Amino acid sequence: MNWKFKINITRRQTLLFITILIAIYYLVCGIYINNLGYFNQETLFYIEKVRIIFEGTGYKLKVIGLTAPALPFFATFPFTVISSLLAPVIASALGTAVLFYLMASTLVKKTDDDYYLFLLIIMFLFHPGILYTACSGKAIYMALIFFYMFFLNIFKFYTSNTTFHISIASICLVLLLFCDYKFIWLTLFFIPLIFSIALQSLNLAEKESLFRMTQSFNSPSLRRKLINKTFALYVILFILPIASIICYKLLNLTNANDADYFLSSPYATWNVIAERFSYETAALNPDFKSPEVSVLLSARMVMFCPLILFAIALFWRSTYQILTLLTPFAFVEFLHIKYDKAFLVQEYYLIFLVLAVLCFIIKAQPVKHRLLFKVVLTFIILLQFYTGYYFLSNSLIDDERNFVTILKDRTEDTQQDENKDMANYINGLPDGSKVLADDAIAYPIVAFTNDVGNMLLPYQDNFMGAVETPGQYVGYILIANAKNTMAGYSILNARYGPVMFQTGNNYSTLQKAYETDHWTLYKLY
Amino acid sequence: MTIPEILIKDGFLTEADQDKISNFSERSGLSFIKILLNFGYLSRKNYERSLSNAGMVFKQIREEDYDLDVLAKTELKFADAHLALPLRIENNKVVTLMANPSDELFIDYIRFTYDLEPEIILASDLDITWLSHVLLGQKYVKSAVFELLNRDPESSALTTFTTPQLIFTFGMFALVVMGLMLSFVNTTIIINVLLSSFFLVSIIFKLFLALVGSRFELHQAVTREEVRQVKDDDLPIYTIHLPVYKEDKLIKKLIWNLQSLDYPREKLDIKLLIEEDDDKTLNAVRNLDFPAVFEVIVVPFHMPKTKPKACNYGLHFSRGEFLTIYDAEDVPDTDQLKKCVSLFGKLPNNYVCIQCALNYFNRSENFLTRMFTLEYSYWFDYMLPGLDTFDIPIPLGGTSNHFKFEFLIELGGWDPFNVTEDADLGVRAYAKGYKVAIINSTTYEEANNEMFNWVRQRSRWIKGYMQTHLVHMRNPVKLWKKIGWKGFLGFNFFIGATPVTFLVYPLLLGIFLCYLVFDLTSIRSFFPDWVLFMSIINLMVGNILMIYVNMMAVFKRRYYELILFAIANPVYWLLHSWAAYKGLYQLVVKPFYWEKTNHGLSKVNNQAAPVE
Repeated sequence: MNWKFKINITRRQTLLFITILIAIYYLVCGIYINNLGYFNQETLFYIEKVRIIFEGTGYKLKVIGLTAPALPFFATFPFTVISSLLAPVIASALGTAVLFYLMASTLVKKTDDDYYLFLLIIMFLFHPGILYTACSGKAIYMALIFFYMFFLNIFKFYTSNTTFHISIASICLVLLLFCDYKFIWLTLFFIPLIFSIALQSLNLAEKESLFRMTQSFNSPSLRRKLINKTFALYVILFILPIASIICYKLLNLTNANDADYFLSSPYATWNVIAERFSYETAALNPDFKSPEVSVLLSARMVMFCPLILFAIALFWRSTYQILTLLTPFAFVEFLHIKYDKAFLVQEYYLIFLVLAVLCFIIKAQPVKHRLLFKVVLTFIILLQFYTGYYFLSNSLIDDERNFVTILKDRTEDTQQDENKDMANYINGLPDGSKVLADDAIAYPIVAFTNDVGNMLLPYQDNFMGAVETPGQYVGYILIANAKNTMAGYSILNARYGPVMFQTGNNYSTLQKAYETDHWTLYKLY
Repeated sequence: MTIPEILIKDGFLTEADQDKISNFSERSGLSFIKILLNFGYLSRKNYERSLSNAGMVFKQIREEDYDLDVLAKTELKFADAHLALPLRIENNKVVTLMANPSDELFIDYIRFTYDLEPEIILASDLDITWLSHVLLGQKYVKSAVFELLNRDPESSALTTFTTPQLIFTFGMFALVVMGLMLSFVNTTIIINVLLSSFFLVSIIFKLFLALVGSRFELHQAVTREEVRQVKDDDLPIYTIHLPVYKEDKLIKKLIWNLQSLDYPREKLDIKLLIEEDDDKTLNAVRNLDFPAVFEVIVVPFHMPKTKPKACNYGLHFSRGEFLTIYDAEDVPDTDQLKKCVSLFGKLPNNYVCIQCALNYFNRSENFLTRMFTLEYSYWFDYMLPGLDTFDIPIPLGGTSNHFKFEFLIELGGWDPFNVTEDADLGVRAYAKGYKVAIINSTTYEEANNEMFNWVRQRSRWIKGYMQTHLVHMRNPVKLWKKIGWKGFLGFNFFIGATPVTFLVYPLLLGIFLCYLVFDLTSIRSFFPDWVLFMSIINLMVGNILMIYVNMMAVFKRRYYELILFAIANPVYWLLHSWAAYKGLYQLVVKPFYWEKTNHGLSKVNNQAAPVE
């Protein structure tokens, strides 16, 4: 007994040690890529908001409470002590290591065969999608963690049938929603699955699902039971996420006068503009043909992660599990229809990878032809490194393509140079100089400035007053040039009154202080 | 002709029964008449009919004269065992009441004790029981009331508020008033933040415990196989206390439920504890058309008139190795006693109590019974197992807690001044280093289906929680040392925080609704946005989590049709708040008053609970 106990401890300690090594590996990669100049919209958004909270002055409650997605945003807080610019990267590196630990710890409980653990380590070390998750500073890691926990508990529920697992799954879904709101639509596609579970749980002699359903519908008592159970299961799984979202919307309504503020305001979330911008940039190209076509989208997912087919094959005779595995396919197809002006980001590809690995974790032990199984598994995992790389390098989203380019070429990324230049100029302004800026689109510049306290931003009460009569509040105004494709999303653009009418009763005279391709900083006289 | 011979002649008893009774009498020391009338052999009506046919006359004896000197020579337990009582000496004879005039042992006792011949008056065993307890039971009833107070005065709720507690309470009150006078806005902000945070923390803690509890929902403390392996011959005597007051409508149901118990009849020691002034229940027992399976104990009048006092009194007459309490309307799982014996056998010696789950058989009767079912499902299926897992004191439920008799005596029994004596006993047991276990067996009760009746019952519970908290928090440091930090926090969250939560809830809800409906600018001026933001989060998250925990519990019980009713919890809590304020008022003006819950109001027929 004691001997076994010791072995278990050793395994756990080994796992912890491997996780620490993986975390260090991610940190090194992430910081290296960051030093090469790689930033993405999401990271910069978090950096700017976190800096407002810790360095800004004024009414910050809305920024703290309503910035979305909330959980990844909060997760960057502790790491700002180290460096506000690196905080999101550190969070994602450590978070991805946590994801590894969660998966690996489930795996070692299920099987003693270390080969599977080896494959998992290899995957976490080299899969481009996972490296992107770990080193980009984006919130994907957290979504994947809760996605994994959600499905893990759903699978556990199938075997244990305890309220505990379904409740934990529900709580994980709540957390997932606060990492990515779009997962709320997952609730729609669980209806057939839940119906199937309810049907199977009825105490009937008949084994065939179709006949069970016929019997249930034709007997009033069974019908009532079936409906009650289906409804109860659905409620126990989804009422918490739905209620949480309703509460969150209510909070948005009471504090921002808009229930969808966290979804639709560029001050609350980064992707409202970034997604549209990314789509419009690509779609405006006359040669553009979107590879994201309904039905074929599922095929793309399978191409990205062929392991999922293998996972489906593993559960071939298990109705629940098959329906569970099909749910994310329906989900991404729906996302494509619902959010037709946005491309599917890497996160939605990676959920299939996580799900497929989860299936192998659950099913790894009982497989008969172990050697063949391992060979095929190894081959598919290696193949996925290529598909992962291919999908990232051919992504329609700039951030993803840039990442893989930098990872491959290790050349400096110049995309943020212009923002850094402008920020450097602002940093060099005389002490006490106040700059009016609209962080709906100017958040990258604000993120790079040294002192957020010198900026007058929309979260502050006197922002609108400053927009009306800038002379009374600020010495400089940051304006998005007409060439700036995002200028339309900001009030401080080339059509801003004081810029259009350089003199007037209410306006001071403006003079260009510093100009880049997309931004102009005006000085007020 | 002896009484057994008369009964055999009339066909009310077989010779085989007589042999069985004689054997049982020899083994147990119980008298023939006691076994005959209390172990399901013969109904009282038939007994009287048979004796009347034989020319004997039953007399009404309550108004009979008695001589205290004569009574003093007889021990109540002996009189009770033989259902006989010497009253006075008249015409050089001892006037003796007897339910069995052929009880030679008792007749010899009279002759030997008084050196006189007895003059036997035939009377109903129930009347003799009543009279003997009323006349001779003072010693025992005083012990029932004052035993704990004498032995462990610090644990008695006789004193509701100690001086330091009063100083602390009024000190805090004065501090708040001073704060309000010096800085009204800041003080209200501090109070609001503290209250709403406390509300949220306590609910998150409950969710956490419920999740921990739900993790073990498939765990069976005792399996069916283990129950099957229990041998009847090895089973110990099991005492069941049935404290009742004016429950005449439930006596028939009670017998039905008790007969369904899977436990050898001869090894059951069932005591129906009836108050002295409760003729209704006594007459209901008298008028039963079928044999009773319990023994009646009449509790002499003594204040406070509470259930724990009755149970303490019953302890003096109990014979069991284990003891449990059921309410009159309870329907325990038929194998519950065997399960408990089996579990006690498996557990370490310091486990002195096993708490069974409680639930309701009339759950679908109306809104109140549905909500009650939700609440009990969550409490007994998740919370108590959660507390058990973390080794936090378990506030015992009102019934179906099974004790090791000797340890119960060692603990001093129940506190008769505490109106939730069960919760108090649970904490006291922990403080002495004993443990309480949870078992996978359920007792189905009758959920209160009438609102005012519900509020009465709930106000007593909440008042009892306040009493229990006050008693054990007389010396917080001492309590901390006794039950550890986990136990201390758990005790404060469950016993102390429960009434506070209910008292605070309508205030917070009221402020929230005013804010929502009227968008009161005055509220905004009192509370800055961050306070409102935090309070709204606390209130909403707290409510949602509690609703969810309730849903989880009914989901586990497979009461799917009740799941949506969990949403009505915020309304149900308002009823709790009403009861909490009533309880608080009573705590001050009449702390020991026992708000009687009327049972038997349900129109739903209970059925014997099947084995799970």
